[in-house]
Amino acid sequence: MRTLSSSLLTIAALLTLGGCVTAPPKANFTQFRTENPKSILVVPAINKSVDVNAPDYFLATISEPLAERGYYVFPVNMVRSVMADDGLNDANLVHSGDPRRLGELFGADAIMYISIERWDAKYAVLSTTVTVELNYTLKSSHTGATLWHNHETKVYQPQAASGGGLAGLIADAVEAAVTKAAPNYIPLAQQANAHAVDTKGTGLPAGPHDALYLKDTQDF
Amino acid sequence: MMKSARIALLAATLLTTACATNPQKYAWGTYDHSLYVYYKDPAKAAALAQSLEATISAAEKTNAIVGPGIYAEYGYLLLQQGNNTAAIDSFRKEATLWPESKVFMNHMIQAASGPQHKTAAKGSQG
Repeated sequence: MRTLSSSLLTIAALLTLGGCVTAPPKANFTQFRTENPKSILVVPAINKSVDVNAPDYFLATISEPLAERGYYVFPVNMVRSVMADDGLNDANLVHSGDPRRLGELFGADAIMYISIERWDAKYAVLSTTVTVELNYTLKSSHTGATLWHNHETKVYQPQAASGGGLAGLIADAVEAAVTKAAPNYIPLAQQANAHAVDTKGTGLPAGPHDALYLKDTQDF
Repeated sequence: MMKSARIALLAATLLTTACATNPQKYAWGTYDHSLYVYYKDPAKAAALAQSLEATISAAEKTNAIVGPGIYAEYGYLLLQQGNNTAAIDSFRKEATLWPESKVFMNHMIQAASGPQHKTAAKGSQG
């Protein structure tokens, strides 16, 4: 009985530890901690995928996780429009420009540059795989230095739910075709953002609007 | 037997709480979804403005704080509709609630107050 309970507890403890995040090695936060940025300007993403809509759709997912982490996040849609009005609608040009100039224009402490590496659905008759892959780089608009970087890949593959047989195979093929016709990237982008921002050791330290601001140096 | 049941319960509790997401700091309404719908069909700017307005009024009724940028986004849509007075009002709310936005909001308020208000940030170019 005793061994059973203790092994149950051990399993529970292991599951608890492993349930959320596997702890990756802690990133280097020296420069981040020197500056402790309070506000983040997210500029339109560079698109390396074949889906021309990816940058806009992605933009809709990024404010919440950053703001809930405790940062002031500039209004992404307004920033996008204002930049376009000023001739800054080429994401590649914006990303290669000086973060200090943008910081001055908007009064932002840091600029978030995101590159969409993948945003696609691959069809293989019986299953469709949807993939979102993102690179995040936060640069200081005071010094131009890189403060933080992260990379995320999220993959969705609908479970083959068929009970076997020809009917099941057809059902799987139909589901795969439907996923292919209208892949939903948003939940994947949301998961990627949450993991990129919230994971201890590699995410963003708590921002000034979070109770743990400057108190989480053990983790970040 | 009782004991292992209790341990199993403890284990289950640990499991469910381990990954529990923290309560949200801000009221977002349907911001992300409405923005997505708008990008799918940019003709639906009015629907986006309506959803932001609904988010703001629901939050103000319950003394909740809307997410950073919400007042500004709403103000910008009002500006595009030509409603400069209401736009300025919304930009002021953003700046009051989030001092981090002051530089940007002051540019916008200035642009919205002047005679030329369509190209909002032109004044910040020089």
